[in-house]
Amino acid sequence: MREVYVAGIGITSFTRLEYPLVEIAAYPAMMALQDSGLKKVDHVFVANMASGRINHQTGLASAVVDNLSLTPAGAETIENGPASGASAIKAGFMAVASGLHDVVLVTGAERLREVNNLDATDAVATLTHPLAEYIYGVTLPSLAGMFTRLYMKKYGVTSRHLAMVAVKNHDNAMLNPFAHIHQKITLEGIIDSPEAMTNNPMVADPIRFFDCCPVSDGAACLILTTKEVAQKSGHPLVRLAGVGQATDTHAVHDREDPTELLAVRGAAAQAFKMAGVKPSDVDVAELHDAFTILEIVESEEVGFFKKGEGHLALERGETRLGGRIPINTSGGLKAKGHPVGATGVGQAHEIVQQLRGEAGKRQVKDAKTGFTCNFGGFGNNVVCLTFVREG
Amino acid sequence: MEKSILGYKCTKCAQVHYPNRTLCRKCGHNEFTTLPLPKSGKLLTFTHLYTLPADFEVTSIGLGIVELDGGTRITGQLEIEKPEIGMKVRGDVKMVRNDGYNNYYGMVFYRA
Ligand SMILES: [Zn+2]
Repeated sequence: MREVYVAGIGITSFTRLEYPLVEIAAYPAMMALQDSGLKKVDHVFVANMASGRINHQTGLASAVVDNLSLTPAGAETIENGPASGASAIKAGFMAVASGLHDVVLVTGAERLREVNNLDATDAVATLTHPLAEYIYGVTLPSLAGMFTRLYMKKYGVTSRHLAMVAVKNHDNAMLNPFAHIHQKITLEGIIDSPEAMTNNPMVADPIRFFDCCPVSDGAACLILTTKEVAQKSGHPLVRLAGVGQATDTHAVHDREDPTELLAVRGAAAQAFKMAGVKPSDVDVAELHDAFTILEIVESEEVGFFKKGEGHLALERGETRLGGRIPINTSGGLKAKGHPVGATGVGQAHEIVQQLRGEAGKRQVKDAKTGFTCNFGGFGNNVVCLTFVREG
Repeated sequence: MEKSILGYKCTKCAQVHYPNRTLCRKCGHNEFTTLPLPKSGKLLTFTHLYTLPADFEVTSIGLGIVELDGGTRITGQLEIEKPEIGMKVRGDVKMVRNDGYNNYYGMVFYRA
C-alpha cells in the first residue's frame, strides 16, 4: 500500500445555507484546491445522505464534478448515513493507497434545512429498522434516550454530566468561526436552576434539548494524495495513517448488551492498529456527539478511558481544551453542527487544522496525532480515522 | 383471531430472530419457520419522545425495548404511566402508525 497524505482542506460554515446543494458541496472543494495548489484531480467522492429525498437531486457526484469543471475525472456519491463523510474519506484512502488514483478530492455536503425540522428528523429516522423500529415512531433521539437511561443506571452518569458535555462543546464552538451555534451556555442555565427545565425541555426522556445536536447545512473537503504531491502544497505534512470500520446490528434491541457500542470499539481498534499508535498517543480527537451521551461513551469505547469512566474524566476536565485529551475542539456535532453527510469530513478538517497548527484560539499545543470517530445509524456503522503529523 | 408479531426460528439451531434475517445470526443457516412471539416480558429500557414525525397525531409517545418471555427482544410503544426498568409488561398488537397511506401494526405494551 502507498502512504496517503492530506494536500488541501476546505469548509463552509455549518448553519442554514440558502444555496443549491451542488454549490454547497463545491465551495469547500474550491477552497481545498486552492489550499493544495492543485488544479486537477483524478477522482471525486461526494459524501451525502439525503439529497434524493430532501433536495430532489440524485447523482450528486456527477453534478459536483461538472460544477467544479473537473470532468472527465471519475466521480461517485457515497451514502453511509451519518458516517458518509468518513466513508468517503476511506474510499479516497483506498484509491490512493492502492495506486488506482494519485489525487482524490473528497467533499461531504448536506442541505437538510431546505425542509422543516420534523421532516429532517424523519429523514434521518429512515436509518432505523423499517419494520421493527421506524413504524413505532422511533427516531435517533428516542434511541439515544433509551441508551442514555441504561447507561445512567449502569454507570452512574447523570443529566449533569450530559450538560457538562454541552457546555464544553458550546465553549469550544465559540472559538470556531465555522460553527453553527455561537451561544455560551452554563450549567446554571441548562440544568442547575429552576428555569433550566424551561430553557432545556425534554426531547426523549432523559435527554433534553441541549443534549441534541442541531440540524445543519454545510460541507467540508479534503484532498488526499501521495507524499510527493502533498509535499508541494507547502503545508506541514499530515498523513492519513489509519482507517477502521465496523458494523453492528440494525435494530438496537438485537444487541446482546445495548450499553456497548461494539462498532465504535472495532473501528477504533483498526484505525489505531493500522497507524501503529495507541489511544494514549492521541493529542486531539473529534468524536460523534450527535447526543451528549455519545461523546462520553465513545471516549470509553475508542480506548481513551476505561468503560464506565468517561464521565469521570469529563468531570476532571481531561477532555476540555488544555486537558489531557481535548475532545471536540471544533465544538463537535453538538455546537459546530451536524450536516449529516458532511460531518465526518468536517471532523477530519478540524484534525488536519490542529495537526498543521492552524486551529487559532482552539489550537491544541504541538498536536501530532489526531483521531476521528464518525458514527452511523445508532452505532450500526462506524468509521474511525487516525491522522499523524510528520516532521 | 388475535393478532401476533411473528418471530423467525432457525430450522438448524433453533435461534429465534426478530425482525427476520436472510441468514441466521448464530449459525448462518437460511431456513426459518415462523412462530407467534410471546406477549409478556420485562422492560429493558424506555423513553418518552416529545418530538414526533409529522404524521403522528399525538404530541408524545412512550417507547421501549422489551425482553419477551423466552428471550427474544422487541421494540414497541408503551402505554404505561410511570415505567421502570425491569418491570413486567404485557403487549397487544395495535395500530401504531398511519402515514396517510397505510396503517402499520405493532406491539403496544401495558403494565402487566
Ligand atoms: Zn441458526
